[in-house]
Amino acid sequence: MRTIRRSLPIAALAGVALLASGCAPSGGAEEATPQSGGTLVYATGDAEPTCLDPHVGGNYPQGLISTQYLEPLVGRDEDGTLQPWLATEWEASEDGLTWSLALRDDVSFSDGTPFDAGAVKANVEHLQDPDTASSTGYLAVKEIDSVEVVDASHVEFHMSTPKSSLMEVLSQQWAAIEAPSGLERGQEENCLAPIGTGPFVVESWTPQDRVVLTRNDDYVSTNPQAEHDGPAFVDTVEWRFIPDAATRQAALASGEVNVVDNPLPADIVAAEGQGISHLDAPRPASANRIELNTAQAPFDDVAVREAFVRAADPNPGIESLFQGTATRSYSVLSSVEPMGISDEELFATDAARANELLDDAGWTERNDDGVRVKDGETLTVRFPVSTNQSTAAEQSLFEQIQANTAAVGFDVQLNPVDLSAWYGALAAHEYEAVSAPYTTVGPDVLRILYHSDSIVPAPSGYFANNAQLSDPALDALLDKALGTTDDDERASIYADAQRIILDSYAVLPLYDQQNHFLFQGVTGIEALHTISTPLLLNAQLTK
Amino acid sequence: MSAVTAARPSAGRWTALGAGGTVALAFVVVLAAAVAVPWLLAPVSPLAVSPADGFAPPSPAHPFGADESGRDVLVRIVHGARSSVGIGLAATALGAGLGLVIGFASGLGPRWLDSALGRVIEVLFALPTLVLALLLVAVLGSGTGPSVLAIGLATAPGYARILRSRVRTVARGDYVAYARLEGVGRARVLLRHIVPNTLWPLVATATLGIGQAVVWVAALSFLGLGQEPPSPEWGAMLGAGRVYISTAWWMTVFPGLAIVSTATALTVLGRRLSGATA
Amino acid sequence: MLPAARWIAARIGRAVLVVWLVATIVFFALRSSGDPLEAILGGPGSQAGPDAVAAARETYGLDAPLAWQYLVQLWRIATLQLGDSYARRQPVEELIAAQLPGTLLLAVLALALAWVLAVAGATIAASSRGRAGRAVNAVIGGTEIVSTVMPQFWLGAVLILVFASTMRWLPATSQPGDTAGLVLPVITLAVPIAGFLAQVSRDALTEADAAPFALTSRARGAGETRVFLRHTLRHAALPALALSGWAFGNLLSGAVVVEVLFARPGLGRLLQEGALARDVPLVIGVVTVVAVLYVAVIIVSDALELAVDPRLRRAKRQSLAVPETAVGS
Repeated sequence: MRTIRRSLPIAALAGVALLASGCAPSGGAEEATPQSGGTLVYATGDAEPTCLDPHVGGNYPQGLISTQYLEPLVGRDEDGTLQPWLATEWEASEDGLTWSLALRDDVSFSDGTPFDAGAVKANVEHLQDPDTASSTGYLAVKEIDSVEVVDASHVEFHMSTPKSSLMEVLSQQWAAIEAPSGLERGQEENCLAPIGTGPFVVESWTPQDRVVLTRNDDYVSTNPQAEHDGPAFVDTVEWRFIPDAATRQAALASGEVNVVDNPLPADIVAAEGQGISHLDAPRPASANRIELNTAQAPFDDVAVREAFVRAADPNPGIESLFQGTATRSYSVLSSVEPMGISDEELFATDAARANELLDDAGWTERNDDGVRVKDGETLTVRFPVSTNQSTAAEQSLFEQIQANTAAVGFDVQLNPVDLSAWYGALAAHEYEAVSAPYTTVGPDVLRILYHSDSIVPAPSGYFANNAQLSDPALDALLDKALGTTDDDERASIYADAQRIILDSYAVLPLYDQQNHFLFQGVTGIEALHTISTPLLLNAQLTK
Repeated sequence: MSAVTAARPSAGRWTALGAGGTVALAFVVVLAAAVAVPWLLAPVSPLAVSPADGFAPPSPAHPFGADESGRDVLVRIVHGARSSVGIGLAATALGAGLGLVIGFASGLGPRWLDSALGRVIEVLFALPTLVLALLLVAVLGSGTGPSVLAIGLATAPGYARILRSRVRTVARGDYVAYARLEGVGRARVLLRHIVPNTLWPLVATATLGIGQAVVWVAALSFLGLGQEPPSPEWGAMLGAGRVYISTAWWMTVFPGLAIVSTATALTVLGRRLSGATA
Repeated sequence: MLPAARWIAARIGRAVLVVWLVATIVFFALRSSGDPLEAILGGPGSQAGPDAVAAARETYGLDAPLAWQYLVQLWRIATLQLGDSYARRQPVEELIAAQLPGTLLLAVLALALAWVLAVAGATIAASSRGRAGRAVNAVIGGTEIVSTVMPQFWLGAVLILVFASTMRWLPATSQPGDTAGLVLPVITLAVPIAGFLAQVSRDALTEADAAPFALTSRARGAGETRVFLRHTLRHAALPALALSGWAFGNLLSGAVVVEVLFARPGLGRLLQEGALARDVPLVIGVVTVVAVLYVAVIIVSDALELAVDPRLRRAKRQSLAVPETAVGS
């Protein structure tokens, strides 16, 4: 979709690019007109990836940076409708076991090799290869039995079982397409600089400092969110790693960097008054929620779960801690998923009711600290908190929930731990409550998170169904949705599934997965409608 | 405290405290009260959340302001003394205790023991405190126990060295030689001469050490290796408040002042006790 | 110069012992805390399949008994091949070599600044006489104490708030090679050490000034400056020199905090990331390098001490030059 903006001729662009080779934007801040060239500095607070190839592993930091140099087969628009990108058409067979895709024939990778069906096949096989150790991408292509190269621009996926969500999950960055020539170099080299079709190319990576990306001058505009034909406007992107939020904000304020992610709520609120722009792009799939472990006491009793939910009262905390930047969610799915349903009344705070429920459930005694006791067991809730994944505001919110539920007799034990120990606690089932964000694309996330199959751990011990829901009716609905390609029917099935999940009180939705960006001295920053990462293709410096 | 004054065998009685020392002592007394009976000094719960008061700046109602959940910062600092100073005390006790054992064994035992223990001490010195703490976290996870262990282990060599040199000096002193000459048993010599003359410098050093330990505990909390919420430990408050430093400076400044004041007071007191002049 | 050669050989021998012990502790500490497979397979929570797990076990020799793995690790350290980082798949040597200069630069600059501040403070204090002099001494004494107990992350955060966010005089972050960006991190690192060095120097200076040789010099008509430069300064420098080894250790500790705070690449950040990710080869590599450096600095400062103070040459047993008052770096 092109807007009526002036699109600069390629020749002029190249000329300016030669002049402004990789230097900071020129001085003279008389007017804020967009210009060509220059270096855009992006400072991320997320963990530094250990490999720039998002096939390996598959976390959000990799998604953020690979958005600039790798492109997936399909995109989405803001309504959630799939859009052509590297693939132009796609269709499933009647039985759902064969998907036929038509691909663009005018695109090359940045090393000159052509993008074709053979490349798609190589990528799927790379994702499925155990040596790659892909997590998110692997889940996307797990059901693909084989890939058939029909001709250079047509490919067929033969599925082991129908998967209606296939194209949705292929829109993720963790299943983006890399050059087979790049993959063939071996993982060690490919991790340093994957080769893709995107608007930028990885030039260098200084660990713990920055990754330098240079413009791909041969970029062919296939991105549905491109606003102009041809290469990006800026010459270079410096991707800096600044883990400390206060330092990052100071760098933005002083002009050292142009774009930051993970800003503090107070900084978001103050941004407008400081001439800093704000981009709010909630992550797709699931919302941020607290899940209660239904497989062991005390939350194996639905009454106790409801009591917890009724007593938690997160709304005042969300208001004051996030200062208006986060809206309370009553849905399991993110607000950018069109098939989400929500139910505010189900989660209305009611401390009296909570007390009633607990009394009826047999938790009538209390010990000296005011914690309820039943049959010699205290009403203890172990809540491991990942300091990597939960922001300071969120950790404070959990403290407030801890205090609110203590008033009705819960003993919530918050345990802030590093990521490794956190996964360890989950794998060992040493938790009664946990908040585990999950990012993918599409409502099929419900199957990943709440199907009983997801209680079975991977060899590493990891499993996604933290609520440990095991409901045959729910399983049946989720499996059925996977085999249904008609969108209206899918929406209805997923609505029923969400109804079951919400009514079980095993999930306390909080808010969308927060994904805010602040930027200054640059325009044209927008988020991909797939995984909500910022796209720098249309960005222009303004100073 | 210079090397010379530390070696003087008869040093260490109560020298005149002076103005600085008196202020420090007064502060430490208040601190001890906060550790022992926080409820007397601040009869409000440090855990009581009040979202409406979130980020309240300093005012008569909240002299040091309120934190992000509306909890009064002054109240949390008073109650937090128990954790912060308590952990510092525990770590120092561990370090001084270990140092005592190693120091005495080194100073009084056979030469091979002295050599061997000397190597152990060198190894522990070769690992800077935070490096040691990170290692321990990798093994034990974060929390109070590992903090105490890390700081105790890291400071033990320091105490061991001081003890060892004191013990050796005293053990070679004239009056000990005379006592032995007169036939006094080894154990009696130990109790009546060596111990009294070595413990006082240890106490003085340990007082200094508690101050340092409090700072180390806060550093570990900053790196995310400390106490569990909602504990009002000063370092944890500092770490949590630092995120909001540009909009709610009081959440960072006051806990920081508490740490600095406590450590300073203890250090001044420790130096006075050891007989230093300034 | 046989005694000198023997002295050096003995110190190096002990250094090797220290490094060996450190490596052993680190190896068993990290291995006992969890499965390194996590780090190898793309971090905690990876959903790697059973084939990937089996392949990784084989490639990294994790099937062998722990004792054998330990010996292999020792052999690797001895032959200076530190292996590949589990998480980053790059050789540990390369990662360390890339980060070492940054940390060393900070450490050296901070030590230099600390020295300058310490000597300046001590000199001013020692040369102030009379009532004003006592007041000056008290103020400097107080400043010293406060600076030794100030938490570095607090100081750094306040400095960033004042000088970067509010006054915009200095940048909050810095690139390697950028001088303005070095100012705040170096100050943050130097302050605690400066305080301690000042205390020690001031004590030594006061003593040296009252010592017989100074008296004799003055009696012979030597001016204050001459006395100061030729005698007292040398004596004051001695403990501070001895402390430089300890100070180095303190700097490395501080570097972990300062690098995180100011977003500077360096060994400190590398170590913290490695420990949290259970990246065994990386952590062993960094800690070994740190231990070696530390021991080297101590050997050098011992040698310097011997050069400066002839009295020490005659003493038979040299102990590590660590201050008796320092209780942990």
